[in-house]
Amino acid sequence: MIRVESITISEFRGIRNLALDFKGRNYAICGPNGTGKSGVVDALEFVLTGNVSRLSGEGRGDISLKQHGPHVDIRNNPDKARVTAKITIPSLSKTVIIERSLKTPTTAHVTPNDPAVVEVLQQVEAHPEIVLSRRELIRYVLATPGKRAEEVQALLQLDQVEQVRVGLQKIANSCEKQLAPLSTTATHACENLLRALGLSKMTKEDALVATNAQRATLGLTMLGDLTESTSLKDGIVALEQDKPQRIPKTQALADIRAVHEVLAEIANASTSTLVADVALDLNALACDPMVSAGMKREAFYTTGMEFIEAAACPFCDTPWDLGELKKHIQAKIDYLEEVSRKRLAVATKIAPLIATLQKVQTAINILVGYATPTPSAAMEVAHNYSVSCGTAVEQLIALLPLAGTITVVTNVPIVPQAVLDAIDELDKVVSALPEPTEQDAAREWLTVAQERLEVWRDAMQKQEVAKEQAQRARCVSGIYAKTSDTVLAGIYAAVEKDFASLYGFINRDDEDNFKAQLIPSMGKLGFDVDFYGRGFFPPGAYHSEGHQDGMGLCLYLTLMRHLQGTGFTFAVLDDVLMSVDVGHRREVCTLLKREFPNTQFIMTTHDPVWLRHMRTEKLIEGLSAVQFRSWNVDHGPVRWDDRDVWIEIDDNLKQNDVRAAAALLRHYLEYVSAELCHRLRAPVEFRGDARYQLGELLPAAIARLRKLYNSAKDVASSWNQREIVDLVAARASEFARLADASNAEQWQVNVAVHYNSWDNLGKEDFAPVVDAFRDLLGGFTCPDCNEYLRVAPDRETPESVRCECGKTNVNLRKKGS
Amino acid sequence: MTKALIPDGMPDVPTQVFEKFLQDLGDSGASVELAARLRKTLLVDKAFTERALKEAVLAKESLL
Repeated sequence: MIRVESITISEFRGIRNLALDFKGRNYAICGPNGTGKSGVVDALEFVLTGNVSRLSGEGRGDISLKQHGPHVDIRNNPDKARVTAKITIPSLSKTVIIERSLKTPTTAHVTPNDPAVVEVLQQVEAHPEIVLSRRELIRYVLATPGKRAEEVQALLQLDQVEQVRVGLQKIANSCEKQLAPLSTTATHACENLLRALGLSKMTKEDALVATNAQRATLGLTMLGDLTESTSLKDGIVALEQDKPQRIPKTQALADIRAVHEVLAEIANASTSTLVADVALDLNALACDPMVSAGMKREAFYTTGMEFIEAAACPFCDTPWDLGELKKHIQAKIDYLEEVSRKRLAVATKIAPLIATLQKVQTAINILVGYATPTPSAAMEVAHNYSVSCGTAVEQLIALLPLAGTITVVTNVPIVPQAVLDAIDELDKVVSALPEPTEQDAAREWLTVAQERLEVWRDAMQKQEVAKEQAQRARCVSGIYAKTSDTVLAGIYAAVEKDFASLYGFINRDDEDNFKAQLIPSMGKLGFDVDFYGRGFFPPGAYHSEGHQDGMGLCLYLTLMRHLQGTGFTFAVLDDVLMSVDVGHRREVCTLLKREFPNTQFIMTTHDPVWLRHMRTEKLIEGLSAVQFRSWNVDHGPVRWDDRDVWIEIDDNLKQNDVRAAAALLRHYLEYVSAELCHRLRAPVEFRGDARYQLGELLPAAIARLRKLYNSAKDVASSWNQREIVDLVAARASEFARLADASNAEQWQVNVAVHYNSWDNLGKEDFAPVVDAFRDLLGGFTCPDCNEYLRVAPDRETPESVRCECGKTNVNLRKKGS
Repeated sequence: MTKALIPDGMPDVPTQVFEKFLQDLGDSGASVELAARLRKTLLVDKAFTERALKEAVLAKESLL
């Protein structure tokens, strides 16, 4: 995706002003804890993504990027807190400048600001995982399966995959849920139609025979077919326009009988048994306060989930993190899984009661229709009962509050006497109506039949549409679930293999047959690793902390490779390998170099030995590192930089502060001497605690370079290279002069830089000491690139003394050797 | 058609899943219209809400 060429940081976190030149290559930032390394990491994350994960997200309390991102002294002026990065985009062959200030963190000033560049930067912004800290590393390895699944899902952006899966499943479920009531409606419509047609079952042929019999009475043409648009009363509409409405006696009596039947059904023994059973279950649920409250909460959370779609709360407009909030609520719903199971069991038992009540409602509504537009008081009672059946259905579907549902269920078999009386009254009224003429009866028959046919057709059409939608939604959901499982299983299998290969490489001395298992199951991701062939266990079970760190790094690198493919060109590793043991650091360096040659790693470490490993293994080049020596609130990180150190010592001397100048000189000489001994492979008396004194290191480095020059002279002579001999001799002589001037080899007796003698030295006494050591260190460098010389290779027989630019290259291989 | 490609890299994981899903959906005999609507929702609009998915899945289709 990108490589970072350089970064300039101003008034950001603990940094006042700092520029680092990465040159698009691997780069290391080394320094003791608290010297500002993480400030650089934060700045990189900020300029690339507009966020600093250390200052945001879970567990950060009152800390915020805008308030606490600027340097503490300019916290009220976030505009001054700025980070500028020069990056290259290999795919576009472009160099881009990005600048962000904490005043508007989400807005980056990009030059050039063309669409292709913006698209790449948006992709970078979407990948905050380019920064890996040790805290995050552990989350991949030691997390619980559920939490790990979340972390891995977040890294692979599987939340989107999961969101679609859940969404499609919900749609399919809700479509199927609609089918039952639509089917009930269609069944009721069919029963009403059959009653009108005087049939016991619906066939086209029987319906045509019955219809044509009535049409024959009226002298209408026979219907040859019954299609979707056929009207049973075709031809009589115009004739009937002026006739007053009247009750179709035969049909009305049939409908009254139907109401009697359904009311008898509601009051029969089997309904009563079912009611008693359901009431028992509901009472049991209501008696358990946990379940009762849980059902309310589950209903609340489930409803709430449907409304979490915008970026802010619909009530108070407070912005929220959509993904986080959904995850939070889903966790609550999952917790109430048992409650949900009990609710579903009761709902299933209640379903037949709902169907019966709906049947009653439909049947009574037909009777009420006969009394329209001027219903009697009795029919008002019947109408109210029908409405109460509808309300009862709604309550039974809602289920909550439980007390209300229990009351409704208990009352289902009770049909008010007033309703029965009203129906009896209507029965008497209809029975008393004069018998219609044959033609009137036929006309009424066709009119009612046509009305009910239309209702049935409408119900059937709705049911068909719903069926088709439910099938489609289930099919889409099923294919998606299968496909995503297949793709993810493939990804997990590849990750497993790649991870084991990377980890096996860095531990090839004792775990070269290492294997790992990623086991996805119901939203969780198990992670077991092989322990020396004794079986698979969680990483934290038997492996050491160092090995776990190695696993975390390997899993992260594997996931990034799968996530970004060849676009994985940049990553920041923030002190992630602090506990990897010395024996495996070399392998880690080789791994990063060999497996990720196109990825630029910016690495921080508090361990200078680690830094040397990176250099030795050529993970970083000579100049691709910075070492911070200290930090203070006024100036931020202070780096080990020759120029800066000598200026600071001179400044101290100008202020006649010999104590500070001598302390800094000694501190710097300790740091440089260790580096020189390492580079020149100087023999030093070994110390198990690695706490070497300056007096043990600097004389060793000087002696080593003297010896190397002597060897080089002999070597040049063996090759008969007179000019080289003279050149090396001149260098050796000059170096000897500098060493003698510093008197460093007599360290033990040289009081000039002994801390216990500082108080006795004046500015004039100490200034020549400083000059002598400055010149001496110059003697260890290449005159062209000013970098310290080193012996190559860093192990085995020395072959040359050389520098980073290559202009100093003194041969150490004798002719014939 | 816009692909959520990591520049100079492979498609991201959601895009891999969505592409394969649309391919499998097409192979299953689902209508071209349905696949086109879902492609627009998932890969162009990147709308993953239930509402957006519902519109794509349940939209009325021509009888032809």
